[in-house]
Amino acid sequence: MRSLLRLLKKYSYILVFLLLEVIAILLLSNHNHYQHSRILNTNREITGWIFDKVDGAREYLSLKETNEILVQENATLRNKLASPGPSIAKLSPEEIQRLNYYSPARIVHSSVYKQLNYLTINKGRKQGVTRDMAVISEQGIVGIVLESSPNFSTILPIINPDFRLSAKLQKNNFAGILQWDGNSPNQAILNEIPYHVDVQIGDSIVTSGFSAIFPEGLHVGTISDFSLQEGNFFEIRVLLGTDFSTLFYVNVIKNFLQEEQRELEEKTNE
Amino acid sequence: MIRIVGRNIIRFLVVILFQVLVLDNIQMGGYLNPYFYVLFIILMPFETPRWFMLITAFILGLSVDLFTNTLGMHAAATVFMALLRPWILNIFAPRDGYEPDTFPRIFFYGFNWFLRYSLVMVFFHHLALFYIEVFHFQDFLSTFLRVILSTLVTTSTIILSQYFIFRK
Repeated sequence: MRSLLRLLKKYSYILVFLLLEVIAILLLSNHNHYQHSRILNTNREITGWIFDKVDGAREYLSLKETNEILVQENATLRNKLASPGPSIAKLSPEEIQRLNYYSPARIVHSSVYKQLNYLTINKGRKQGVTRDMAVISEQGIVGIVLESSPNFSTILPIINPDFRLSAKLQKNNFAGILQWDGNSPNQAILNEIPYHVDVQIGDSIVTSGFSAIFPEGLHVGTISDFSLQEGNFFEIRVLLGTDFSTLFYVNVIKNFLQEEQRELEEKTNE
Repeated sequence: MIRIVGRNIIRFLVVILFQVLVLDNIQMGGYLNPYFYVLFIILMPFETPRWFMLITAFILGLSVDLFTNTLGMHAAATVFMALLRPWILNIFAPRDGYEPDTFPRIFFYGFNWFLRYSLVMVFFHHLALFYIEVFHFQDFLSTFLRVILSTLVTTSTIILSQYFIFRK
């Protein structure tokens, strides 16, 4: 018994090591499975606040680029107003209410060149941003809201291996799964497009609208390369529209039909 | 031990804030990710109890994790590094051992000793960190390249910091 105690004492720090590693790994695996705790929410408020203060300088230095992007956006919007097609004026008030609502937000912190990349934006529950909302930029889609605290939200961007998106070829509507392979922050892989589909370099990839998070037809990127995989599917390399390293402003989309679609799907699954 | 805590608490805060507010914002491409905060473990006094070192490493890693949304990742790697530290120190020990009232720094043991010691420490930290990050061994070589390159960058920043901030 005494020798056992002596042994325990001698190797106690190994036990401390194992204990701490187990805690760390548990935290890591739980966190990635979208479980969350109050601690994390408080933490998001604090880190968000710090990032928000420090980010002022970065924002100031990039005013020129931001301006250019805004000018371009204005031009696109004017074009949309001028062009014929379904416009808001023709819709009844109920239908307008059901349209997606766009809410602008600023990125206060982002990581781009890591494996587990996340973004933090300065809108949270108080501003109506909750989990599973879509986040887009002028250049294309950005990601989805993972968690939100009162004033800040964490975003899971395309460039995180946990992110999956149902996307389709714009010209013929064949849909596949878009996922990041962890290599370059401006490329992702589109899988599950069957081999008989006509695929060309330069084709546009847009959201399919199957997921109830992203509305249909948002720009994702363009095809930069493709190859045929085993099992008769293409592996398509997509050049993402969004440049994450220069991203400052995003729009959060509230899809008013999301609840309805999800309820229906749950009922069907039962 | 209370003395160790008091003397190190400011350094603790400085390395974390430098890491998350400065280094994490510098984008140097996917292969270069300096993790300067490990300096804190490298500079801990020789006589720090092992269990205390492990717990400090855990808290240090977890604090960085809180800012990068990767709860547990940096903590696991930093604890691993803290576990190896006594052995690494043993391997690099001078012939007559480490003298009392000295610290693991260039000032006391010279550039060569510090370079070897910090290089090995940083290497094991980054090895654990990057493989936990990808969580598979498929792209073994590209991850290993990331480990090597980031180790070089981190070690350089650590050596530089020794001349600019922690001179004495």
